[in-house]
Amino acid sequence: MIEKKTMKKTIDACGLTCPAPVLLVKDAVEQSNAQELTVLVDNGASLENVNRFLGSRGYSVTDSHEGGVYRLEARRDGNEAAVPVEKTAVRADKGAEQKVLVLITSDCLGSGDDELGGKLMVSYIKTIKEMGSELWQLIFVNSAVKLTIASSPVLSELQEYEKSGVIIFACGTCLEHFGLTAEKQVGGSTNMLDIVTATQLADKVVTIS
Amino acid sequence: MATSDDAGVYRVSDELALIQTLDFFTPIVDNPYDFGRIAAANALSDVYAMGGVPKTAMNIVAYPMDSMGREPLREMLAGGAATLAEANTVLLGGHSVEDEELKYGLSVTGFVHPSKILTNQGLRAGDCLVLTKPLGTGIINTAIKGGLASEATIRQVTELMATLNRKAADIMTEFTVSACTDVTGFGLLGHIAEMICGTGKGVVIDANKVPVLAEAYEFGAMGFVPVGAHKNREFRKNMVLAAADFDPVLRDILYDPQTSGGLLIGCAERDAPALVRRLQNEGIETAAVIGFVTERLKNTIQLQ
Repeated sequence: MIEKKTMKKTIDACGLTCPAPVLLVKDAVEQSNAQELTVLVDNGASLENVNRFLGSRGYSVTDSHEGGVYRLEARRDGNEAAVPVEKTAVRADKGAEQKVLVLITSDCLGSGDDELGGKLMVSYIKTIKEMGSELWQLIFVNSAVKLTIASSPVLSELQEYEKSGVIIFACGTCLEHFGLTAEKQVGGSTNMLDIVTATQLADKVVTIS
Repeated sequence: MATSDDAGVYRVSDELALIQTLDFFTPIVDNPYDFGRIAAANALSDVYAMGGVPKTAMNIVAYPMDSMGREPLREMLAGGAATLAEANTVLLGGHSVEDEELKYGLSVTGFVHPSKILTNQGLRAGDCLVLTKPLGTGIINTAIKGGLASEATIRQVTELMATLNRKAADIMTEFTVSACTDVTGFGLLGHIAEMICGTGKGVVIDANKVPVLAEAYEFGAMGFVPVGAHKNREFRKNMVLAAADFDPVLRDILYDPQTSGGLLIGCAERDAPALVRRLQNEGIETAAVIGFVTERLKNTIQLQ
């Protein structure tokens, strides 16, 4: 495995407004358990909120200000077990197992014949459980969001996966685009920032298009 | 009439004045019906805060029909109508436009006897301040946006925001009230600052007596403080005195912008315990005396 924990992580939250910077830092702290962390923000409110969040997780923080950017240097000693683990993050802590994120970008698998592609996608979703507990998140974007609504041929499978702890998200902008915001029957809605963050946090990202 | 008050007032005769107000905003909760209820309670609140009785209302809607479809709109308006019915207020009509971002609110008209109008200025030295709803909806709404609030918390804060200030306003008429406002976007301290601005008086707030949602403290301590609270503090910090070791989380809660917040009522000290008791007996359990008005401080709020 890569020795992530000894690396000093930098989170650039410039250009983001609350609560996005705190959420980025929160995810980073919970995923990597870093002892040292650098966070960049560009407004006073984020500075204060991130500072307070890191304090609540046992970090001591020093900050400096240069050219409109605040730099927070956070450090925490010793006991990682003292970190409060969120209830929903049960699956995050699985030792050596890797976290696989599957990004599904279409309701068809492959190109050539859409009818065939639709069937292949159904088959893919039904078979994906073979990944076992390494399957961490399923994110549906573009026309793939149609797989999360009532008429989806794999709705019951996805609901099963969600129950067993797989995190499922559908892109909110895409649901809106297709007029399906109210139709979604499984998973949460997500935005591009969360998708980018999730792909960064995953050990492996599989894109299905 | 007075500037920067909750609503506009027009005197029709010696017996009748009209109160007019308008408020609309983008969704703060996901459920359209609940959002409708909250928007209506929020718009009606300004009439109550002026000592009036709401009579008629008109809907203001900006709606993305193409992306959302008809159903959420129907639910949202049904929620608004339910709250108007609860307030015995007649919906006369409204206007809608297509917009990429959903917005909903209402313009409300109420009646008040010209001698019974309550403005936000009028506090007298020695008066007590009574607050009827707990603070913290802005912080919790930020935590909801971050996906951190539990279903139970979302439920609790939704009901709080959808609760009309009607009962509190009714009870208020039984007492001699010197000033009243509703706590909304400027936060508790911002609204108190408006109440004392230019009066030469000051207010002492007993911060531990201010009703606060427990989850708001929890999320505030984790850094989920909305930008609005920081802006409110930047704007009014010159009027606010606090010890250097004053709890920064509690301070942010006192600046936290509220949606459909409670009434902030000024009354004589001798009446305050009876007012609070009446409010609590009628189900407004969080009502509390949170501070008093003094001439010792000029245009200043002191936190204790």
